[in-house]
Amino acid sequence: MDTFLAALFSGTSRGAIYALVALGLVIVWRGAGVVNFAQMGQAMFSTYIASTLIQNGNSYWVGFFVALFAGAALGALLDVLVMRPLSNKKKTELLSSESMRAAIPVIASLGILGVLQALAGIIWAAEERGFPAPAAQEGFTVAGSVMPFTSFDLFVISIVLITLTLTTIFFKRTGVGLAMRATALNQEVARLSGIRTNFTRTLSWAISGAASSLAGLLITPTSNLSPNTLDLVLIIGFTAAVVGGLDSPAGAVLGGFILGLVISFVTFYLSPEDVFISILAVLLIVLIVKPRGILGGKDSRRV
Amino acid sequence: MSNAAKNPSIIRRSFRRTIFFIIAILAVGSTFEPYNQAQLAVVLIYFIGVLSVTILTGISGQISLGQGALMAVGGYTTALLMTNYSISLWIAVPASIIGAGIAGALLGIAAARLSGPYLAGTTLVIALAIPTIANRFMSVFKGDEGLPVDVGYPPSWFTNLFGEPTYEEWQLYVVLPFAAIALFFASNLLLSRTGRMWKSIRDHETAAALTGVNYSRQKIYVFIIASIFAGLAGALYGLRGLVGPSVYPVALSLTLLTAAVLGGIRSIFGAFIGTVIVVFLPDWIDLVLDNFELSEQVSNFMPALISSLLLILTVVINPAGVAGGHHHKHK
Repeated sequence: MDTFLAALFSGTSRGAIYALVALGLVIVWRGAGVVNFAQMGQAMFSTYIASTLIQNGNSYWVGFFVALFAGAALGALLDVLVMRPLSNKKKTELLSSESMRAAIPVIASLGILGVLQALAGIIWAAEERGFPAPAAQEGFTVAGSVMPFTSFDLFVISIVLITLTLTTIFFKRTGVGLAMRATALNQEVARLSGIRTNFTRTLSWAISGAASSLAGLLITPTSNLSPNTLDLVLIIGFTAAVVGGLDSPAGAVLGGFILGLVISFVTFYLSPEDVFISILAVLLIVLIVKPRGILGGKDSRRV
Repeated sequence: MSNAAKNPSIIRRSFRRTIFFIIAILAVGSTFEPYNQAQLAVVLIYFIGVLSVTILTGISGQISLGQGALMAVGGYTTALLMTNYSISLWIAVPASIIGAGIAGALLGIAAARLSGPYLAGTTLVIALAIPTIANRFMSVFKGDEGLPVDVGYPPSWFTNLFGEPTYEEWQLYVVLPFAAIALFFASNLLLSRTGRMWKSIRDHETAAALTGVNYSRQKIYVFIIASIFAGLAGALYGLRGLVGPSVYPVALSLTLLTAAVLGGIRSIFGAFIGTVIVVFLPDWIDLVLDNFELSEQVSNFMPALISSLLLILTVVINPAGVAGGHHHKHK
């Protein structure tokens, strides 16, 4: 029973973070048609900024909010510098087929990831450093026994839930959110009805940048911070988004929690070595049943 | 009738390319010092792997971030045959094709249903998961330690005929025939009817189906062929000294994709140019950086920084790659 609770709680807390990463990926995928492999590179960069601020004597929360802002700014900058010029190339013959339109931005984002990791190595050196948590990382004590649930886990889950609620409200209830959904649905039509699609694209990069920076800030206290530590988080977050359905923010969140729980239960009950094989199994089972993820759209083909 | 007249010319063209390739590599390789000969061998190995990306992504439009996993399958097949049954590498390396082909068929059956980012995600997880199997079955795969294999020493008839080569030179000579065969087959494939069929799937699945192409089945064939190339590359890559999980990381898959795009994802020549750039660029950057006084922290990361910047610039300025630009011919 204790193992079960420990697995459940740690899976939920990890799953919340994966949900955040997946959400960031889904926002950029819907808003700009790009799978952004640089996302956790951006998060790593802004977490380093927060870490530097905190080491220089600022409070945790100064670092926290500066990192979120830096993540958003970096996301917007990357869109303007790299992805926008790239999307203007869509009329060239190479990018006329759907597969190439998906492949080329992926490669550009891998390039961005390389640049960010190398820059972080040059600026902050490559050795691992710790990152503080704003809440205690010891388990609660209930009736004399230590529960496998810490106040930091509680902090992570509540922050993620607040973020998810805010994003949902933003997309469903605000004019800008509506414009972004329209752009995701059909860029040409959105532009014709007066939406500045370039602006909404950049905005989706900024929101995704902030969301993934949040994920970075929340996950580094339990791992360590180095230029490469977040690579694995990105792969798991991407898998979560694919499992849930890349077109659906709700699916991303669902996928995040599913993967968090799968990883945690496999780690507790089997062995950590089986984690990746289990992820692969989950992914294959879901995609064989629903090729576009659990909550993804129908696999329709247009002639 | 027209087919019969065309086919010999395709084979002749591929054959001419291959002969030219062998002569060029031998001519350049013989002027290199041992370090660069080993690097050239790596170029040839990567070239085979990059050809698998060219066939899969450039020709058939299926994106894969997991070719490194298929390289691992090929590497382990060869290493197990060589260490457990002491089979000569000239048989064990071609046998890697069978292992990788089977893995590719399984992957293809799953992948035929997927498209775009869903396929990318699946193959990425495969790249991550397959090497961990080595730790699961310790007794067979020896875990992180891996299986040590190498190219050994040249047979006596070779040394009698050409003199004693250095180890690096022998590495190059072992790899070259496989690379040449891979080039010949890839060239044939691209020029042939099958290649045109795959291009039609890339450009428009529905249109391809209307002209009588069974694209689900063809996609599986594409994955099998691409996996065979990857498996062969993986077997040769392992022969550099070790077959283990650390030899085939996720980054390897991404390097292959990077090389394919840098050179030009739709052409064989592009695949070779891209591979040369990816393998030799760090050395070239080191050469240039030696002229500047840089702290160790900076110089360690400069090659990665510059090559990543180059990658972004290539993709933004000319996504068709170095060898791209004349593709309208194939339209």
